[in-house]
Parts: sequence; C-alpha cells; structure tokens
Amino acid sequence: MTKTSKIAVTLVLAGALVAAALLARHWVGGAPAGRAAGPSRGGELVATNRSEPTSFNRYTAVRSTDELISRLTQARLVRIDRTTDALEPRLAERWTVSDDHLTYTLFLRQGVQFSDGVPFTSADVVFSFQAAYDPSSQMAGELDVAGQPLQVTAPDDHTVVLTFPSVYAPGLRMLDGLPILPRHKLVAALREGRLGEMWGLATPPAELAGLGPFVLAEYTPGQRLVFTRNPHYWRRDAAGTPLPYLNRLVLAIVPDQNAEVLRLEAGQSDLMTSETRPEDIASFRDAAAAGRLQLVDVGVSRDTNLLWINLRPDAKLSPARRAWLQSEDFRKAISYAVDRQQFVNTVYLGAAVPIYGPVTPSFGGWYVPGLPTYPYDPARARALLAGLGLADRNGDGVLEDRRGDPVRFSILTQQGVDTRERAAAVIQNQLRKVGVAVDVVSLDQLALIQRFGTGDYEAMYFGVETTDIDPASNVAFWLSSGAFHFWNPGQPKPATDWEARIDELMRRQVTTIDLAERQQLFAEVQRIFAQHVPALYFAAPEVYVAMSPRVANATPVPARPQVLWNADVLAVKEGGAR
Amino acid sequence: MTTAHRRLIGYAVRRTAFALVLVLLVSSAALVLVDLAPGDVTAELFAAGLGPEAIARERHRLGLDRPLADQYVTWLGRAVRLDLGTSLRYQRPVRDLLGERIGNTALLGACALAVATLVGLPLGVVTGSRRGWLPRAVRAASLTALSVPPLISSLLLALLAARTGWFPVGGTGLAEAGPGALASAATVAWHLTLPTLALALPFAATIERLQSDATAAALAEPHIQAARARGVGDGRLVWRHALRPALRSVAAIYGIIIGTLFSGSFAVEIVTAWPGLGRLMYDALVSRDIYLVAGCAAAGSVFLAAGTLASDVALAALDPRLRQDAP
Amino acid sequence: MTRALGRLVVVLVVVAAAAAPWLAPHGSSDQFADYLNAPPMRLHLLDTGGRWHRPFVHPLRLVDRLESRYVEDDSRRVPVRWFAGGHLWSTDAPDAPLLLLGADRLGRDVFSRLLFGARASVGVALAGTLGALLIGVLVGGLAGYAGGLADELAMQAADFVLILPAVYVVLALRATMPLVLEPARIFVLIATILALVGWPMAARGVRAIIAAERRRDYAAAARSLGAGHLRVLVRHLLPAARGFLAVQATLLVPSFILAEATLSFVGLGFVEPTPSWGTMLYEAARNVRDLGAFPWLLSPAAAIVLVALAVQLATAGDTGSGLLWRAGPGRARNLQID
Repeated sequence: MTKTSKIAVTLVLAGALVAAALLARHWVGGAPAGRAAGPSRGGELVATNRSEPTSFNRYTAVRSTDELISRLTQARLVRIDRTTDALEPRLAERWTVSDDHLTYTLFLRQGVQFSDGVPFTSADVVFSFQAAYDPSSQMAGELDVAGQPLQVTAPDDHTVVLTFPSVYAPGLRMLDGLPILPRHKLVAALREGRLGEMWGLATPPAELAGLGPFVLAEYTPGQRLVFTRNPHYWRRDAAGTPLPYLNRLVLAIVPDQNAEVLRLEAGQSDLMTSETRPEDIASFRDAAAAGRLQLVDVGVSRDTNLLWINLRPDAKLSPARRAWLQSEDFRKAISYAVDRQQFVNTVYLGAAVPIYGPVTPSFGGWYVPGLPTYPYDPARARALLAGLGLADRNGDGVLEDRRGDPVRFSILTQQGVDTRERAAAVIQNQLRKVGVAVDVVSLDQLALIQRFGTGDYEAMYFGVETTDIDPASNVAFWLSSGAFHFWNPGQPKPATDWEARIDELMRRQVTTIDLAERQQLFAEVQRIFAQHVPALYFAAPEVYVAMSPRVANATPVPARPQVLWNADVLAVKEGGAR
Repeated sequence: MTTAHRRLIGYAVRRTAFALVLVLLVSSAALVLVDLAPGDVTAELFAAGLGPEAIARERHRLGLDRPLADQYVTWLGRAVRLDLGTSLRYQRPVRDLLGERIGNTALLGACALAVATLVGLPLGVVTGSRRGWLPRAVRAASLTALSVPPLISSLLLALLAARTGWFPVGGTGLAEAGPGALASAATVAWHLTLPTLALALPFAATIERLQSDATAAALAEPHIQAARARGVGDGRLVWRHALRPALRSVAAIYGIIIGTLFSGSFAVEIVTAWPGLGRLMYDALVSRDIYLVAGCAAAGSVFLAAGTLASDVALAALDPRLRQDAP
Repeated sequence: MTRALGRLVVVLVVVAAAAAPWLAPHGSSDQFADYLNAPPMRLHLLDTGGRWHRPFVHPLRLVDRLESRYVEDDSRRVPVRWFAGGHLWSTDAPDAPLLLLGADRLGRDVFSRLLFGARASVGVALAGTLGALLIGVLVGGLAGYAGGLADELAMQAADFVLILPAVYVVLALRATMPLVLEPARIFVLIATILALVGWPMAARGVRAIIAAERRRDYAAAARSLGAGHLRVLVRHLLPAARGFLAVQATLLVPSFILAEATLSFVGLGFVEPTPSWGTMLYEAARNVRDLGAFPWLLSPAAAIVLVALAVQLATAGDTGSGLLWRAGPGRARNLQID
C-alpha cells in the first residue's frame, strides 16, 4: 500500500465516521430543498452579515467577514469538506506524499482562469506562499509547522512541491486556509513591500481578481456587498453545468441581530451568516411549520465557551487567595456546584447539551465518550471547599478562608453577548448556593482581551471559534507554551506535571501519521484534561440554521459560515421568486 | 449698517472662532481618552485566532506602539489641514467613512426635523390659541411624548414593526432595492419611516409646547388685544398677527434641534439599524479605532457647535436685551 | 389636580423604592430556573370548584421551553402569605414563586427587580439632577450676574462639556478604578458623573435669565437699597429661574435614568445583585422580537415614562415652559449619545 493510498484510506475512514455522526442530525422543518430536481442556474440570494469587511486582502484581514468574502471570491488548493471534515481536491486535482511524509507533490487543475481571464499556474501558488510568509501578512502563523515555513517549488506550470520542515500529521489540511491570489495583480506590490496596503476597501472591485465562484461587483459601505457569478469559474456540477448556480449573491450588512431576524422573517433576506439565537428557534420553528422558512438543526456546536481561573504565576493575588483560588479542588468544586442541565435550560433554553471538556460530540472521531467528570453534586462541592479550609465562619451564607476573608472572586465576561452574560449569571447564582460569592464583570471584548494579555483578572468566561476539528490545528490551546492555553498561556516550561504530559502527548500526536494512534494519543490528552479541569465547560449549543424556502441545495454545517461555505452550489428553488 | 448689526456680526464671528477651537479640543480629547481606555484595535485579532507576535506586528504597522503624545501630535498636524487620518479598523480615510454616514444621518435628521416641525408647529398654534378638549388632548399627548426617551420610542416602534410587518426594521433598504432611482427612493423612504418617527416624536412635542406657550403669550400682548377689539377675526388674529412673534421662540431652539439631530442618534440608529453617524461612533468606540473616534467626535461636535451657535445668534438677534451683554 | 397627581406618583415611587426589600416578594437576583420568561401570575380568589379562598396563585407549568410557554397548574393552590419572613407578600413554595409582573430571561421576578431598581435608578437620577442643577445655578448665576470675561469663560466651558461625548471620559476613567466596586461607591460615582455632564444646559438657561433680570428695575432697586451682590443674586434674581429649573429637572430625570444604563455599557453601571431600570431595559432591548411575546419585560420602560410624566405633571403649573426656549431642549445628550 502506498503512502498516498494509505492517507486516502484514513481520510475516507475519518470522513465516514463524521458522516455517520452527521447522519444523526435531522431536519426540523421544511424538507431539504432542491434535491430531487437538478438545481437551475440563475437567480439571486440575499444573506445578512453583521459586520463590515476590513479589507479585501485576506492575507492581512483575518476577521470572519474577510474570511467569508475570501471564501466567495477566491479558491484554495484543497478544501476541508465541512460536512465530512475530509480533505477534498480543489485547485489541486490530486497529490502524492513521499515516504518520509515530508514532501507533498500537488498536481494542479489545468485550464483554470482567474476571474479576469488570466490563466492560473503554479507561479500563482508559489507567489501566494511568498505573500503569505511576507511580514505584512497575518497568514504565516497558520502555515508554519513547528515554527518553520514550508518550502515551495514549482517544477512545471501545473505541479507544486511542498516540503514540510518536519512530519505534520494533518498534512495539507492547513491549505484550506490559504486562498490563492493572482500573481499578475500583486507581484509588484510584494516586491515593493506594499502588499499590506493592497486590496483595501477602497479598491475598485474591477481591480480584484480571484479563482472563487463569485466576483465582487459592488461594495457600498454600511449597506451591502454584491457578488456576481465569476464567468471563468472552473467547477461544474455532475451534469456538466458550470457553477455557481446563482447569478448574484448579496451580502447585506445589518449590524443588529434583531433586524437580521426580522428581515429573514419578512422575506427580505434568505439567510443569515451566523447561527440562530436560542430565543429565535421557537418562532423560526413555527415559521418552518407554516412553510415560510427552512430550519435545520445541524448538530452540536464546535465553538465552546469556557470558564477558567487565572493560574498564571504572576497573577495579582494575595498568597491566601492564591491558595484556594488556584487550587485544583476549587475548580472541581465549581464543576460539582453547577447544575449543567439547568445551565442548558437557562442559557440556551434547552437547545444545548451538557459538556465537560472542549471536545464536543461533533468532533467526529476525536470525541471520547465516558471521560471522568465532576457532575452536579453540591454536597461534594461543599466537601471539597471544606477540604480547602473554606467554611462559613460568621454565618452570613458566604464561606471564609482561614484568615476570615470571604471566598469571593470575580468572573470577567464579554458584554453584549447574551449567552455569555447569561452563563455568568447562572454560574454566579449556583455558586452562591454553595457559599462562594461571585462578582460578574462585563467588559467589552477589547478590554477583556487586554486584561487577559496582562493577566490582571481572577477568572474569565469566554470562547473562541474552532477552525478545524483536527487537534493538531489547535495546539496553541493544548500546549503549555501556546497563546490560547487560556489559564496560563505562553509558559516557558510546563508549570505542572500534567501539562508537561499533555505537551508530550500533543507533540507526538502532531507527528504521528496513523489516525487511530493519533486518536488514541488525543484521547489520553483529553483524559488528563478531564482529570485536572484547568478549564470548566458547561454546555455546547445545538446549532440551528434558518433559511428562506427559496434557498435550494444548501448543506448547512455547525461552523460558520454555516450555509455559505458551499456557496458555489447554492441555488434558488424553482418558482422561488421573491 | 447699524451698530447693533455690526455688534451681532462681531459676536457671531467671535463665537465661530471659539466653536472651531472647541471642535478641535473635543476631538483631541476623544482621541486621547479612547487611546487611554483599556485594549486597542488589534486585540480583536486575538479573538480571530492570532498569536502575540502577529498582534505585535500589526500594532507596529498601525503605529500603535508609538508613545501617545507622538501619535497625537502626528494626528493634530494632519487634522489642522483637515486630514483626519486613516481608520485603523477599516483602513480607509476617516473622511470617506464620515462622508458616507453623515449623508445617512442628515437624511434621517432632515426628515425628523420636517416631521417635528410640520406636526409640532401647527398643533402648538392651535393649543396656544384655543380651548376645549382637542388642545387638552394634544397637550397631554405632548407631555407624554416628552416623557418617552428616543430609546423607548424606537423600541416600541420596532416592536410594532416586528409584530405587524408594516414597516421594515434595519438599514436603508438600499441593499435589496430594485433597480432605478425611483424604486430606491421608495425603498429608502419606507425604511426611513420608523427611525424618523422615533426621532421626531420628542422634538415635535418640544416644538408644540414652545409654540403653544409663545402663541398664548403673543395673543395676550396689548396690540393683538387691540386688533381683536377692532374686530379682526380669530383665525386671522392667530395665523397673521400672533404667528410671527410667536415663531421666535421656536426659531431660537431650531439650531440646537438641528445640531442634535444631525450629530447622529445612538439609540435610534442602533435599535433601527440605521447606518448613520451615531452607529459609526459606537462601532469606532467599541473597536478602539482612535482616529475614527476622533473624526466622529469632530463631525458630531461641528454639528452641535453650529447648532448652539445658530441658536445663540438667533437669540441675540431676536432679543436685543441679550445682545447688549452677549459674550 | 394634575399637579397633585404628579406629586403623588413621585412620592409613591420614592416610598416604594425605600420599602423595596419589604414590598418585593423575592430577592432581586433570585433565579427561578423553571420560570424563564414566565408571564405575570394572576391572583385568584375562586378555585376551580367555585369555592372562595384567601388570595392564592396557581404554579405555572412549562409546556414548551424554547417558546417559554406556560400553563397554570390549577390542581395546586399556593396561598399568598402576608407579612411573613420580612416580606409584605410572598409564597411558601420555592417551586411556585409569586411573579406579579412575570419573570425575565433568567427567571428573576420582574416586579421585585423593578422595586429594587427604583432605588438605583430614581435615586441616582434624582441625585444627579440635583447636582447638575446646583452646578448649573452656580455657574450660570455667577456668569449671568458678573458678565464679561467670567461669563465668556463659563459659557465656553459649558459648550465644551455639552459637546464632549462623556462616554469617552468614563471609558478612560473606568480603567483607573478597581474592577469590582461597592454598590454605594457606584452610586456616588454615577451621580457625580451625571451631575458633571448635565449642568451646562442648566447653566446656559440660568445665565440667560439672570442676565436679563439683572437689568430689571427691581434688581437695581435692591442694589441701591444696599443689598450685597450675593443677596441680590440669591434673593432677587435666582427665583426668576425657578420655572426654568423645574423644566430642566423634568428633562434630566428620565434622561439620567437611561444614561445610567449607558454607563453600564462602558463598565460603570450597577451590577448584580443591584438591578436598575436602565440595565433592565437594555437587557430587554437585546431581542425586540421577544418583547412581543413577553411584553412584561417592557415594564421598566413603563416605569421610566411614568416617573418622567409624574415629574412633568408635578412641576406643570409653575414651569412657565416658555422659558424653555432660552436653553433649548437639551437632555444629557453627550452622555446618552442620543
């Protein structure tokens, strides 16, 4: 068995696993449209998006809207199929791997043209890598392996050879994040060191060129982005019809979520680029039953929120407070004290599942059921707190430590994000019942991140998006030296034995090729994590995606952009005029 | 030209100079204060998954690693030449961003002003000159409207729109407008209804109350009473003789109303998702886009200062007593 | 008549705020997990069998959690207990709270929160208004009376404060303070900020009035009779501004109630367990569509309008609202950004 086919097999296996998990999801209302009759070309869909783009240059702009625009207007060498999480060919038709797993040879699709008609060759790929590693780019981190860049060469016009500095198990998965840019448009700017200034929002759309299904036709700040079909787009459907099906896709900028929902319900828009809020599910469900909307439960979210206590050695805490606040038993006591079902009911109106760790059931083969947990048990919470020398010494209902200081700490959370603020209020309420007083402080996102950066806080409730389920792409969270190792980031050397153990397992995990072995290693990582609970997880929401009945051929997924990740095959349902 | 005229012009010129200094002071203060506030624009990149090195690079690129005084002096040097710099978040000239939003806010403000005037003024004349159930009802409605802050009125109207679907909520509607200027105009007008009403309500009430009192006061003046005694009809008395003097009080606050309306309403623009100056200022503040914040503060304060100025000048022109000791 | 009514309402609100812990059936942050967004409960006297009882409620039973739909469980009667446990009224059963105005999204009793919120909101708004008027009278009075350079400087300062968006100041100021503040300290801070932000309009108006009155005969007469400057200002001139100040108060109180919520936006508002009307309203405003299904979440809006209206009515007769035009319809504009 060659290495290539072995990888193919593992990928197929992984894909099958996830596909099986995805089969469990169900359609809540409105049948999946447009499956029977082949979708027809033409028509327009309107999607609402809450924020403005910051640039049309994805290499310097990393916010979610910029990424969405890049997905619509540019193409990648390979793509992760969001429904199966398997790698699928895009601009690279196929690829081979050397025996030492260090060299990948990619064979590019022939006859592909940019939206301005210029042919796409391996020179564009080499250029894109150069641009990505340019100091002005924000891409480099995503394309580094163990801090080193890849070597890229092009033996001929349609072949690219990538050399990895060390064995990297996820392999080409990282290329899903690299849009291929037109060399002919940007190479001069790169040479002159002006790449960072290129393709700002003031750039006339005609100057942009891409390999994606759509081209930007119009940008009216504060109002909308209009995309039209890229006439040179290379993909065709099974029947040979050139994609995309849609003539136009409008991204209306609607900063307020209420307004977004009202527009969708009024039929002024067809979909939202974010998931449905828990409190909107009920009315969408009614609208779906009446045929006015499609509502899809796409499964458990991969983006989780977590509560962590500042474990940094430089945390500004008195020694007495540090003794209990940073202790493992205190975290376990919190876990025992919070009734996760009530958390689910209150924060997500029941549309969530209780969880105990960062890897939710929607992580396919990476999810490990039956890990050790510390479920709701106030008596055990009290016992653990008593073991830390915390007791209600003055009968006021709040525990005190040995010096008589109240057991009180503050949880910082993000202002304006309902689910986070509600979650903090629920945690506050439940901890009060075991005698722990919590002050909830809502800060705006930037102030919160600033506090995180300086380490000037006691506890935080926050979350980030997961881009890929492969744990190797989330090492910044798992490694003790990582920037997203929230409770104690950027450690020069692991502060605890178990963190050292996780570091070791993760390093092996990243460089191991065999998928089963990798999953075993990662299961061990999760087991250690679950034992020491450096961060507390309470619930992962069910993701619901709502669309107008006009939208056909959609395959919504839990991760953003839930519907538009597959924009080239979206279509308007027959007779679906607005 | 009379001495009084000259004095009035001198007063206006002096106040204008002061107002310009004021605008510069306010925008400077906004820039410095927001720069002092915790977090900067690059912190958002952390949430987008970027590591500390990449963020440090971005801070350097944006010049945020320079000392505050340094950044401020650079900005000031440009600002006096009317160059407001580049937005950190959008990477576009602040002037362009402001231009787009001022148009939207001005459109909304002009509509609200028109509605407030067309509703408030005639009603004020009626309530000021008549007795009976109608003026009393109008007065009660006015007092109620004055008690409803714009946040609450826009919430109620948005709720009404959501329940009935009579009006759209959110944006200008241009994103979905059909082709053609007429269709666009119709869509925008339809989308304007809600924010206009929310914004106009308290001002209509203010104008009604003022006009009512002023009309009543004017009708009590001896020369009007004399006209009445001569047998001048009631309608003519009210609309011809009393209206002009009574208009003065409304004219005097018109400047401030315009200034307030045109500097952008935060509450109304947020709830109704109208892409105006208030909304932009809020977004700039939240993302610590210091140059955009300073630009918004400048734009807002220009309108407000101009409004106050216009009011003061109108006041001085209308009331000689005040002009004598006008500062 | 209307004036008496206005005053009565103001007094009632103040009394209700003071007696909140006794009048409220529940604590302000007690969460009833099975009562999220629950509708107001009805007090019954008649049971299903047609028998009369002392006032009682039926507990609510959740029918659909996503919709927050409830039905009355009329198989159970929970009597209202009077004067028990330090509360005027309450229920005995922890699973059947007394929700006279329904519950909010976290299952907290809206009625109790409204009462407790009145302390924070009305208290801070009144204190802030008082402070703003005091500064306004001081600055405006002196400026109007002295004239000249002092006048000019004072009015420029007023314009500066009027135009400077105060949220920026508060945002920067907040960073210098500890993360967690005592409620009493928050109260003082907010009242101070409101006063510092709200005075310019009052000052402008007072100045205009004093400057005009100063030239009137009676002031000159008082002066020539040997009265000191301060005496003339306080005894003879300031009373002329009374009506204007009343109008200012009616404008400032409701705008300050909302401004408190704006301050919580930049991290300087009341936090749990101290509710305020402003923050309650902002929480409700997060989801406009929900308000249709759970209109009781709008009760803080009703309370704000009621108080504003009452303050207006209470001062209605002697406002001489014609004086309003001298100062304009300014609210705490720079704070509320509206």
